[in-house]
Amino acid sequence: MIGLRTIYLWLIAALLIAPFVVVFGVSVGASKTIAFPPDALSAEWYTELLTEPEWLLAIGRSLLIAILAALISVILALAVNYVLWRTKSGFAKMTFALGLGPFLLPPIILALGASLFWAEVGWYGRIEATIISHGVFFVTIPLVIIARGFAALTDDVVEAAQTMGATPVQIFRTVVFPLIAPYVLTGFALVAIISVNEYLISNMISGFVVETLPIKIFNNVRYGYSPVVAAASMLFVGLTVTVLLILSRVTDLVALFGSSKDS
Amino acid sequence: MNVARIITGPNLIGSLAFATLAIFFVIPLFFMVVVSFYQADPMAFYRVDFVWENYAKFFSNFYYKVSLRSLWSSALSAAIVVALAFPLVLFVSDLSRRAQMFWIILLLALMCLSEVIIGFAWLILMSQSAGVPAFLEWIGLWDNPRSLSPSFGAMMIGLVFLGFSIVSLILYPSVARRDRSVEEAAVTLGTPPALVFFKVLLPTFRTSLISVTLTTFVYLLGVFVMPTMLGRPSDWTMTVIISDKALGDANLPLGAALTVVMLIVTAIILALSALITRERRA
Repeated sequence: MIGLRTIYLWLIAALLIAPFVVVFGVSVGASKTIAFPPDALSAEWYTELLTEPEWLLAIGRSLLIAILAALISVILALAVNYVLWRTKSGFAKMTFALGLGPFLLPPIILALGASLFWAEVGWYGRIEATIISHGVFFVTIPLVIIARGFAALTDDVVEAAQTMGATPVQIFRTVVFPLIAPYVLTGFALVAIISVNEYLISNMISGFVVETLPIKIFNNVRYGYSPVVAAASMLFVGLTVTVLLILSRVTDLVALFGSSKDS
Repeated sequence: MNVARIITGPNLIGSLAFATLAIFFVIPLFFMVVVSFYQADPMAFYRVDFVWENYAKFFSNFYYKVSLRSLWSSALSAAIVVALAFPLVLFVSDLSRRAQMFWIILLLALMCLSEVIIGFAWLILMSQSAGVPAFLEWIGLWDNPRSLSPSFGAMMIGLVFLGFSIVSLILYPSVARRDRSVEEAAVTLGTPPALVFFKVLLPTFRTSLISVTLTTFVYLLGVFVMPTMLGRPSDWTMTVIISDKALGDANLPLGAALTVVMLIVTAIILALSALITRERRA
């Protein structure tokens, strides 16, 4: 039986990784058409990706959106969680529940709503529209993660600080924030990664004007293929895995997802 | 301490957060409902009006059939995803800490990875000159290989792949923290592992499995890239049609009406899911 389990795990792992092995093969191949395994190795697609202004522009735009959206998301999630923790009021609970909403709805609904909204506001084609919508729609992830941080916060440290005469702002800055900082960081990183990878919402809000990297890749795949797409995809995979590996050094991801191994 | 500040501080922050969510999340949805009653105007985005015409179009043969097709493909893929992910999560939760870390990072990476890239990766994997068909030819199993996409099967693989990491990560915490005493007792008494799975584990997680299936179903309903990249036009789902109407034909009122119908279907499914979970708790 243990044999069967191991086989199942390896099979799934292989299926999950296989597509990326193939993309990697295409990205380092010299051939202009898709070929795997590659006949000859070449780095020309990576060179093109990192020197062509239009690709660089898309990369820069995507990173800018990701970082600012993650910032909005985390501030919003922190605010909601802080108020819920301080007041435990019904209003705070309602705000928290509202923040779970975007995750529950199919992305196309959010995308079309945002597209109509920004067109009416007159911000169609402005990068700020994409940033704000990403920030608000991805709030669910830091909201849930930071909530875990506040749940782990015990009352006695806060009471101790209160007895010593600390103001709420001081308590937040010196006691609360350092304790929840790893959760905030995890939330920030996850939103940034998801935003960088997101296609549908950015495309519907102002895809023709604000061309992000996923939009560029999609258009390239659909209307005339070039192996640069494979190189760009590998850049994404590399970026995503690197951020997650750094994150796993900073916070305990296994504990965050709730293993019982050591409790 | 300054009492007034304690009271106004959190309330002010809370109100600001609420307002942000309301303006950028709730109002767009509300505005979409309003636009769904407007008239289409080829020259501008739309003309302010109050007509039922856009909804009437939904009940025409074409959209009706597309909707049923979308429901079918997302329901099927959601069921496959959960059936594959649940055993995986069970096995992973029994592994060493290092191995668990590997799986969590792998699943997180896949969850974050763009649909566009996953779709593109499978496109290559199923193409004639690279990937599976070429491999089958090479080992001599397929004499005359052709591309496996676009097809319904290719689209389903894409959808299952997309849902897999999310479902695994949603199930992981509750599976990892489960009370292992009953299964251990069963194993000690000599129950075969397969029987433990069907008699102990499946009943324990029945409610969470049903609710995660429904959530995944809703999520997959709104996927755009997989049907367009891997499916044939005859496999295209409602999401593709909506985006086609809204961006391609610039018929925003019709796109909005179709999305509102999808929103209603989503709300019904989510309510159903909440009901199932609540019954279990009571």
